[in-house]
Amino acid sequence: MAVSTIYSTQALNSTHFLTSSPSSSSKQVFFYRRQTNRRFNTIITCAAQQTVVIGLAADSGCGKSTFMRRLTSVFGGAAEPPKGGNPDSNTLISDMTTVICLDDYHSLDRTGRKEKGVTALDPRANDFDLMYEQVKALKSGIAVEKPIYNHVTGLLDAPELIQPPKILVIEGLHPMFDERVRDLLDFSIYLDISNEVKFAWKIQRDMAERGHSLESIKASIEARKPDFDAFIDPQKQYADAVIEVLPTQLIPDDNEGKVLRVRLIMKEGVKYFSPVYLFDEGSTISWIPCGRKLTCSYPGIKFNYQPDSYFDNEASVVEMDGQFDRLDELIYVESHLSNLSTKFYGEVTQQMLKHADFPGSNNGTGLFQTIVGLKIRDLYEQLIANKANAPTEASKA
Amino acid sequence: MMLPSPSRALQNQQPLIGSDMFRLKQTEPRGLRLVVAATAKYKGTKMREEKLSEMIVEKVKEATEVCEADVRSEECKVAWDEVEEVSQARADLRIKLKLLNQDPLESFCQENPETDECRIYED
Repeated sequence: MAVSTIYSTQALNSTHFLTSSPSSSSKQVFFYRRQTNRRFNTIITCAAQQTVVIGLAADSGCGKSTFMRRLTSVFGGAAEPPKGGNPDSNTLISDMTTVICLDDYHSLDRTGRKEKGVTALDPRANDFDLMYEQVKALKSGIAVEKPIYNHVTGLLDAPELIQPPKILVIEGLHPMFDERVRDLLDFSIYLDISNEVKFAWKIQRDMAERGHSLESIKASIEARKPDFDAFIDPQKQYADAVIEVLPTQLIPDDNEGKVLRVRLIMKEGVKYFSPVYLFDEGSTISWIPCGRKLTCSYPGIKFNYQPDSYFDNEASVVEMDGQFDRLDELIYVESHLSNLSTKFYGEVTQQMLKHADFPGSNNGTGLFQTIVGLKIRDLYEQLIANKANAPTEASKA
Repeated sequence: MMLPSPSRALQNQQPLIGSDMFRLKQTEPRGLRLVVAATAKYKGTKMREEKLSEMIVEKVKEATEVCEADVRSEECKVAWDEVEEVSQARADLRIKLKLLNQDPLESFCQENPETDECRIYED
């Protein structure tokens, strides 16, 4: 394990050092100095890189711009493409976070995939070895030259230099597909959109384009299903948190997909991650906040909380069906949820307001994306604190 | 759906009092407000928008033809995957311009204002 440069100074005589490698992401050197009748320890950390790696999986590659922005905005600062680089870069950089699009690890460009007869969803179109090497390097504090997949031209462009950030988010179709990459993740999220909602969203997305019609959108989703079910969907069993988006149950036969039922499934027992709960942890609660204290407009809001099992793992599920129509509904709901990892009362509401014009701002998608962002911040701070404490423990020896 | 201007969004960050001050679905503009340019700022971006839209037309046509033979074939899956890729790229560009107010060529054009791509696009 590499040791950072050691400087000997006059003040330290007869130094004795031990290197410890609690994990691949920190480099620390301990100096231990012994004097005649006293013994004391000096601890010097050098270039300790504490990169936290988050994986985010969903269909349609890296189209989750608004989710990303909500997530990174919790840390402050706007995430922007690298300045002065390739304008078709998929990367986003803010003060604390760097978001990498996994499409950049396509081993086959559009022409190559056509020749081989594989879709982008197929693992054969992706270079998992390179993905693993580079994520591992960034996690260890080493900058990498990452390729760029250009979605406009369908070609692989010249690489861009990525500096190791404090928080690295890898988003795309296969963040949890390769076991080695999975092991590098400190936290993983899967965005699970049901077929009906997917259809409704794609209609909203594509109907304005003159090339598209209802039939083409339908055909595109159908053709995509086999590869999606085979390669992408199975990843959700590995996720620490799953955001499931379903049609509402509050309006019978609603097929517009405007009102949504969103479930936040949180795995129990994940290090540094304490699930959100409603009223009483581990119990089953059904809650309609609208009533005497709060008036909501149709169709209202309904919450559910319960322990459950998800792919043989113990999990807790918080569910929101309906829409926020007014600010005070949002504050009211926030004040009744527990374990949000907020730093002050109203932080969730404030974050939601910051991006009030993003899709999902009035329903569970925006709410749970924001909450997941706060959970990641909490996880990051705990990880850092934990690594800082490790040396003091070792020195007590 | 009317998207509020950034100034409107900033207004919403004021004291969280009063139930009707905040409307997540914006309806009528209140008085004068900044209208954000919802289209491309630079010629290069406008060209990209048009190119992507054209590619969607082309690729949907291609996929429909290829799939006529066999809807389960690899060629059919790949053809629709290309449609999806280009459709998403088009949507991403739209989101960047409208919601995030970021023209992808912004920083390139700051450095190279002379290039053809960086001519300001006038509607």
